[in-house]
Amino acid sequence: MEDIYADLLHKTAKGDQLAFKQLYEQASPKLMSLSLRLMRTEALAEDVLQEGFIKIWDKADTYTPGKGKAMTWMSTVIRNKGLDKLRSLKTKPSETEIEYEGLDFASSELEPEGLQDLSQDIQGLMTCLNKLKPDQKECILLSYYYGHTHQELADKLDKPLGTIKAWIRRGLEDLRPCMN
Amino acid sequence: MHELKSTPKRYQNPEVFELLAMEYAVGSLQGRARERFEVLMDTHFYLKATVDAYEAKFANLVELLPEKKPSDAVWNNIQAHIKENPVEDVTVEQEVKTPWWQTSFFKQGFGMAAALAVVVIALNVDPKTGIDPAAIASYTAAMEYDANGEAIATTKIQKSEMKLTIDIMKPMVVADGMELTLWCHPKSGAKPMKMGTISKTGITKLDISEEEWINLQNIGSLAVTVEKQGKEVVEPTGRRILKGQLSPIKS
Repeated sequence: MEDIYADLLHKTAKGDQLAFKQLYEQASPKLMSLSLRLMRTEALAEDVLQEGFIKIWDKADTYTPGKGKAMTWMSTVIRNKGLDKLRSLKTKPSETEIEYEGLDFASSELEPEGLQDLSQDIQGLMTCLNKLKPDQKECILLSYYYGHTHQELADKLDKPLGTIKAWIRRGLEDLRPCMN
Repeated sequence: MHELKSTPKRYQNPEVFELLAMEYAVGSLQGRARERFEVLMDTHFYLKATVDAYEAKFANLVELLPEKKPSDAVWNNIQAHIKENPVEDVTVEQEVKTPWWQTSFFKQGFGMAAALAVVVIALNVDPKTGIDPAAIASYTAAMEYDANGEAIATTKIQKSEMKLTIDIMKPMVVADGMELTLWCHPKSGAKPMKMGTISKTGITKLDISEEEWINLQNIGSLAVTVEKQGKEVVEPTGRRILKGQLSPIKS
């Protein structure tokens, strides 16, 4: 599948503000969605999105196509900004401002017909994730999308902390050979 | 859960560090463990490279998310930032639009010196086979002005002197209150290493440590950014105005 963002990112690296605006318009809805799940409130999510896109503008020249798609690079920039922000906050925001939807958006795409519209990269990753036990997969996806700590997962899933840690560790151990 | 503090060398075991890298990438490595791992990533490039690889793989999960349009204020703020930090923070004196071989820069011999540096690099470096680190006597980079690709600085790092020498061969006009900072960018894409503040014109020499010399094997490029004067920065925050590939030269 053609990487529609790579060309815009390349032009952005050369200081092309129009290309950067196009990049923002096309990529920001997905990245806002990522930021919102991580940050829990729209205000914080928009702060992170803004700081992340400023970093993308400043660092666009460091993106190397050989290391992955432009969207995955931008997602990592935004997500790390979000995780840094969460770490700097003394208390995590509550989830009251967004409707907690768990992993419905992900599970609905896991059906074979849903996978057809997705890139080969995500299809491959979902194939690997689907080989895990449901609890392991759920913990890993909740960690990724919502940035939940082990304790938060234990509270949310009503399981002992040790069980959550074991699910994640074993899940990642099982995932490693498949992802490689 | 793998603990980093109990046995410091455990992170060098691939079975352990790869799992930690996965935990870091997926976000389940948190709190102090995450901070300790970030410290290790700064000094051990293989850790950063492994994390980068897994972050790229897990980032595909974003594809599954429903879209959510941010408010217009976000773009307005980003645009304001771009306007406050324009490329014009720094300019090269007497910038002309004539062909590069007719520029006063080149006629003055500066361009020739930069071109010579490039040729020296090309003659001494075998990019396919690489060079035994023990045989490296120096590193060099011809650095270009980002806007038009014109080479205006040469950098040499010599083991015999343990010094980094950067020669800004064409004076640069930098806004008041700003200064130039030199950075080494690891090949792995890890956080750049700050080398120090350099003069806006002429030669600057910076001492390098034994550890920095060893780390140069892992450096892919050098860059100069414009930073606020007196502000302690640990990573580039300002506009990058010079860049160049770092190449080893055999003794």
